[in-house]
This record gives sequence, C-alpha cells and structure tokens, in this order.
Amino acid sequence: MNLLTVLLLFTAMVLSRVSNLRTAVKILLFQSIMVTAACLQAGWNTGEAHMYIAAVLTVLIKAGLIPFALFRVVKILRRERESNPILGPNISFVASAILIVLSYWLIDRQLPGVVSRDALAASVSLVLIGLLLIMTRRQAVMQIIGLITMENGLYLLGLSVTMGLPLVIELGIFLDVLVAVVVLVILTYRLKLSFMTTDTSVLKKLKG
Amino acid sequence: MRELIILALFLPLLTGTVTMLAAKPQAIKIINLTGSFLTSLTLVAIIHQLTLHEVFSAGILYVDTLSAVLLLVVAVLSFTAVLFSTSYMERDLADGHISEPMLARYYGLLNLFIFTMICVLVVGNLGLMWVAIEATTLASALLVAFYFNRSALEAAWKYVMVCTVGICLALLGTIILYYTQLNVDGGTQALDWLSLRQISSSLDPSMVKLAFVFIFIGYGTKAGLAPMHTWLPDAHSQAPSPVSGLLSGALLSCAIYAIVRNMIVVQGAVGSQFVHTLLIVFGMASILIAVPFILVQHDVKRLLAYSSVEHIGLITLGFGLGSPLAVYGALLHIVNHAVGKSALFYLAGIITQEYQTKNIVRIRGLMKVSPLLGTMFMIAVLAITGSPPFAIFVSKFTLIWAAFLGGSPLLGGGTLLLLSGIFAGMMYYCLRMCFGSAPKKLNFQPVGTAAMAAMAASIAMVIAGGMVLPAWLHTILTQAATIVVGG
Repeated sequence: MNLLTVLLLFTAMVLSRVSNLRTAVKILLFQSIMVTAACLQAGWNTGEAHMYIAAVLTVLIKAGLIPFALFRVVKILRRERESNPILGPNISFVASAILIVLSYWLIDRQLPGVVSRDALAASVSLVLIGLLLIMTRRQAVMQIIGLITMENGLYLLGLSVTMGLPLVIELGIFLDVLVAVVVLVILTYRLKLSFMTTDTSVLKKLKG
Repeated sequence: MRELIILALFLPLLTGTVTMLAAKPQAIKIINLTGSFLTSLTLVAIIHQLTLHEVFSAGILYVDTLSAVLLLVVAVLSFTAVLFSTSYMERDLADGHISEPMLARYYGLLNLFIFTMICVLVVGNLGLMWVAIEATTLASALLVAFYFNRSALEAAWKYVMVCTVGICLALLGTIILYYTQLNVDGGTQALDWLSLRQISSSLDPSMVKLAFVFIFIGYGTKAGLAPMHTWLPDAHSQAPSPVSGLLSGALLSCAIYAIVRNMIVVQGAVGSQFVHTLLIVFGMASILIAVPFILVQHDVKRLLAYSSVEHIGLITLGFGLGSPLAVYGALLHIVNHAVGKSALFYLAGIITQEYQTKNIVRIRGLMKVSPLLGTMFMIAVLAITGSPPFAIFVSKFTLIWAAFLGGSPLLGGGTLLLLSGIFAGMMYYCLRMCFGSAPKKLNFQPVGTAAMAAMAASIAMVIAGGMVLPAWLHTILTQAATIVVGG
C-alpha cells in the first residue's frame, strides 16, 4: 500500500469528521492534489503523455478553480457550519472506516488478485464516503464536497483499472465537473439569499 | 450529412449567443423563433437523410434510425417550446415575474439545453454520451431554478444533487464497461458504440452485468424511473412551463435513449433475460408508484409530472418485453408521449398564468373562462390517459398487445389495471378544473397567438397520430426496433 492511497483514504476519513466548512474545503484541496500526484505517478509508470495532460487539468480545475469557487462561497457564508448532521462525527467516522473495509472486500471478491488492489479499493472507498457525505450532511457546501470526493474516486478508479478514459471523454468529464460546481455554488449563494441559511434541511416544502 | 449534424449543433449555440447580445425583448423573440425553426429544419433534414441511408458514422458522430426517433422528438418539441415561450415569457414579463435581463438569460439557457440534448443523440461514443447527459442536467438546472424563489431553489438543488449522484453511478458503469472492452480489443476504439456492439459477445459477462446495473440505475435516475424519480415532480412543477414540457417530453426520452444504447451492447454480452427483467421490474414499479400520487394530488403540474413517471415506466416496460412489436410500441410511445405531454404542460402553463395558482382546488370553471382552452385541455388529458382515437391510445394499445402476445398476460393485465386507475385520477381532476363556476376576481387575458399555435399544433399532431401513421415514420420505427432487438 503506497503513501498516496493512505493519504487519500486519510483525507476522506477526516472529511467525515469536520464541521467547519473552510477546513473541509482545505482538506478537499489536499485531496485533489493527491489525485494529481496519483495521475503523475501513472504518467511516470506508463510514459503516456495523455496522463500528464490529465494531471495538468486536474491541478487547474480540481485544485485550482473548484477550491477557489468554494473558498469564495464559504467566505460569504461566514457563520455557517455543519451543526446538525444526520450522523454525528464519531458515527460517520466509524461508518467511513467500515466503508473502506467493505471496498476491500468488494474488490477481493469481484477482482481477486488484481495488481492495483489498493488503488482500486481506495477509489471505491472515496466514492462510497462521498456518497455518505452527501447523504448525511445538511450543509450545501458539505454536499458539494461529497460530490467532488465521489468524482475524485471515480477518476482514480478509471485511472487504476483502465489507465484513464480517452482524453476527449476525460476533457468532457472535467468540464462537466467544473460546470456542476459552478451551478451548485450559484444555487448555494441563492439559498443563502432566500433562506438566510445553507442548511438544506430547510428544503422540505415540495412534497406529494 | 456531417455538415447537417454540425449545423444542428452549431445553430442553437449561435442563437443562444446572439440572444445574450441582443437587448430588446422583441429582437430576442425574433432571433429565437428563427434560430429554433432553422434548428428543427436541420434536424428534420437529418431524419430525412436517415430514411434514405439508415446509418451515418464519422469519427465521434454517429446517427442511425434509433437516433432519428429521438431527433424527431427534439425537433418537434424544441420548436413548440420556443414558440410557446415567446407568449409565455411575454406574459411573465408583463406580470412582473421576470425582468428583461432574465429574458435573455432564459433563452440563452434554453438554447444551451437544446444543444446538449442534440449532443446526446448524435454522438456514437458511450463516454461522450455520458458527458452530454450530464451537461443536460447542468443546463436545465438553472432553468428549473429560473424564478429563484424558494420552491424553485429547492427543486433545483434536489434535481442537481440526485441526478448528478445518479449520473456518477452511470460513469462508474461506463468505466467498468470500458474495462471489459480493454480486455478484449485493447481499447483502440474506446467506448465506441459500433465496435462495442461488434465485440459484445466476447465481453466478460459478469463484469458487463455489474456495469449495466450501475448504468441502468444512473441513467434511470435521469429518466425518472421509480424509486429514483423523487427529483422529477419537484423539477417539473417548478420550472417555467415550456421547460417542463421539454424536460418531460425530450429529456426523459434522451435518458431512456442512453439506457437503450447501452442495453444493446449488454444484451449481446449477457443475453437479454437479465436486462429485460431489470427493465420490466423498474418499469412496472414506476407505473405503480405514479398511481397514488395521481389519485391524490393538489398541484396541476405535479399531476402531469407523475403522469410522466407512469409513461416512462410504460416505455421501459416496452423495452423490457423485448419483442419487436413491444419495442416498436415503446418507440412510438416515446414520440406520442413527448408531443402529448408537452402540449399538456403548455396548457397547464397558460392555466396557471390565468388563475395565478397551481393548486387544482382553486382552478375551476375553465370551460366558462375560455371554452377553447377548456376543450384543448380535455382533449389533451383524454389523449395522455390513452383514450381512443388519439395517438397515445395506439402506442399504449401496441405495448399491452405485445405484452399479451409475448406470453405475459399478468404484466399486460396488471398494467391495464394500473392505467385505469391513472385514467380515473387524471379525469377526476381534469373535470374538476374544466367545469363549475369560475372564481369571480379572475381577469382573463387572451392567450398569445404564438402560444395558441404551439398548443394547437401539438394537439393536432396527437389527433392526427391516432388516425394515420405516416409511412416514413413507420419505416424509421421498424428499423429502430430492429436495431434494438437485433443487438
């Protein structure tokens, strides 16, 4: 198990504990840098130019534009914090540990003896922990972070099982992620304006 | 052909850009009507070419008769939606619900949305199709949130969150599918649909099954299949009515299209049994879940949205039955439902503008307020619930007929039972809205000509479709059904 996967899993587990939005964005930034490093490592191992392009894009978008947008919105949301999550920090910390074990079990069962076992398990864990964050956090920004964690996981999965998708598809995915974050940040900003809070538990009017 | 496809992609973008530059509402209206008319014309030209040549493939572009069915839907709906929008947005502007800068933004986003839907239909690569489907979510999210009031924000937030998570699962499935392809041909034609279909029989079955489950759940979320439909009624009820029509008629069908494209590859690898069971179960669940929400409903647009869940379920059921007749029926139903449901959403839009409410209880006496609108609404509801002699009756009949022929009378009978429940619910609310005495303080304003034209054209198509099926459409549908069934 190499250092990168350990660090990635570490960021995901810490994300399940934090309640301060600014800290969460910082951890996400660190996570994205780790993803870039993984990408560079893959490029180094295979010698494919397309990996380096993907790494540059990851740095630009996931470690650059997205954290920038999130930092800006967090600045506006000064007092907002994850005060009332559906699962408390301790329980979700344990839950994310269980999810990591689950991913190892899944990988060993579906792909026994695969070379990139640790990387695969780490990426599946990232997807699952991202999902956990989206489901159990009430702050809009935390849900966005969950979504990006999930996307990072998927990206790593693609990297470790298929050496990345073809470049044109990957470009499209990067663009989509970027636009998704922009749309979500606009909506978060509007939530703050309309509801005076970005706690999504206030969104319960539409039913039936 | 390549020029036509590029033109069809370019025109909405151009229209959108010019709209953002133009300032006057009148200019925006003319630009969009022209742009949308030309786009639809180009799409019709592509469909015409496809009736002659059946398939066109060049690089990442790929269209065949299956795409032609969906292109037809987008061509018709994007034009009627823009036509209807001109009147609808004029009224919103006059009532002070929106401001002039918002108008330009609306048309800009609408064109972007139409562009992304055309993208889904003309790419021949499953990875790029994923990119395009996700782009439709993002383009339409800001349209759902367009009014930026509390309910619209809630709907948009749920829409983006649920659909993006869903679509992430579809990406996971697509990556797994790519992995199986890599093991077979080394990935020279990565995720290219044609080559995937060719090598489908040598793909690893257990991995492909896993991939399809993720792909189906992912795109199924986007298509509004139960139990992943939760975003659908919210988004459809909060979006401006022309957008609701597009979401329900065109966008849901595009998601179904993505499922079908993947399904064709998957059934080549693992056989049709597994795939069909999955489709039938989710299809039936969607029809079933729509019934109680249609029987007890307070919001006219939510009523229509749940009816969309039902229709998508019916279409999925048709693909799940898998016989050529059933698939033919499902494809025909995609077209009919799109036209019928968009007409209903347009009508609901006019009604909510007149009555200033979406609450069914407070909408009364439509026949007295405007006999023409009332009659159109009655016809459209009768049509969408599948009464003869309208087009949707024909496709529903084909689907259920195929169920009985295919040796599953239980499915056919069960569906009929559920459909009758839906008929009862829809008709009950329709009659309540149409008859009775109108509220006193209602000041009725005549409906704009453009809106009237859009609604009348859609309803005329629904009526005509019940009487005659044009030969060219029959050919396209038959060929498309062969593509789906033949693998």
